[in-house]
Amino acid sequence: MEKSIETIWKDGFLNNDALVAPKVNNIYNLKSKHIISKFNRMFKRNLIGLVLGSSLFLIYAFFADILIMGIGTFIISNAIVIVNLKLMKTLKNIDKNVSSYNYLKAFDKWLKDQLRINRKLARIYYPLFFITAIVGIWFSGNFQTILSEILGKPHQIYLVNGFPILWVLPIILISGLMAIFGDKIYNFDVNLIYGRVFRKLNEIIADIEELRN
Amino acid sequence: MSSDFYMNSIVPYSGIIIKICRAYTDSQEDFEDYYQEVCLQVWRTKDQFRGESKWSTWVYRLSLNICLTMIKKKNNNRQHTVTDYNVPESSEDNHAFSDESLNLLYDAIKQLSEIDRAVILLYLEERPYKEIAEIIGTSHNNIAVRITRIKERLKKLLN
Repeated sequence: MEKSIETIWKDGFLNNDALVAPKVNNIYNLKSKHIISKFNRMFKRNLIGLVLGSSLFLIYAFFADILIMGIGTFIISNAIVIVNLKLMKTLKNIDKNVSSYNYLKAFDKWLKDQLRINRKLARIYYPLFFITAIVGIWFSGNFQTILSEILGKPHQIYLVNGFPILWVLPIILISGLMAIFGDKIYNFDVNLIYGRVFRKLNEIIADIEELRN
Repeated sequence: MSSDFYMNSIVPYSGIIIKICRAYTDSQEDFEDYYQEVCLQVWRTKDQFRGESKWSTWVYRLSLNICLTMIKKKNNNRQHTVTDYNVPESSEDNHAFSDESLNLLYDAIKQLSEIDRAVILLYLEERPYKEIAEIIGTSHNNIAVRITRIKERLKKLLN
């Protein structure tokens, strides 16, 4: 007689071998690998985005007659990429033949060092981006047209002893503020993109620490 | 995870977890990943358990939710759309049990939709309809009709 599914189920699990649980060790091995490779993928994508974005902007700047802005943006962006590629190479020095916890801790330390360097850099490159943009507009062939486009009506540049003081002062002020708050802007920026990965990493480390205690 | 918690709150229910994880995985490697993830989540969410249901119900619910989430994640990663009646790859790993009838039953269960798999697993574990409805989030009547339909489909698949 044919067995019902209920009988197959009951009989099948009467044998204790059917319910052998896998060992719950190395629980975080896979998670550690996932989180780090996810960060690496995002980080590489970001750097490629910077190179592509700045290159496209350079081409646009050439045709839009804001070449200085294009060249400046291209140089600063690629300098950031070069620094970060060098930082990324140091990631290879992390010993992978250690426990998940030690590997994650080493990665976390690398990440913190990398963020610290980038925060310092941000205090330089945010004002530089801003100054490049202003200088780019200033030296563009059709400055008045661009200015009118930005501000909405025709404008006159006021010079004090031949020096555009009313322009330079706010530029210095804004650049100064960017230099002061560059690290905070960078933190905001980075958290927008990597926030979830950072939280996950901290969560995993906290979990492993609790498991170890 | 303290060994006390593991021994008292997970080991007695490991059978439930194994049965559920087996139904949602096609390889031993995936099975072990799912099993570990369920154990980990049971431990991580233990403080959220308020005792309104039995601990076993809590474990069922968590196991199913985690398996469904993991299967979704895996499918998204593969950029592969799973149809309601997705036929799993046939492999040696599918045959995880020494009882051949049980292997065939699992093969058939794996051909059901993800929700139908959950329903039939709970039914086979003799959970009351009310509890199944509560875990799945549907009505008692719907569960009764669904179980009849699933059993008919399984019968066809097994013959």
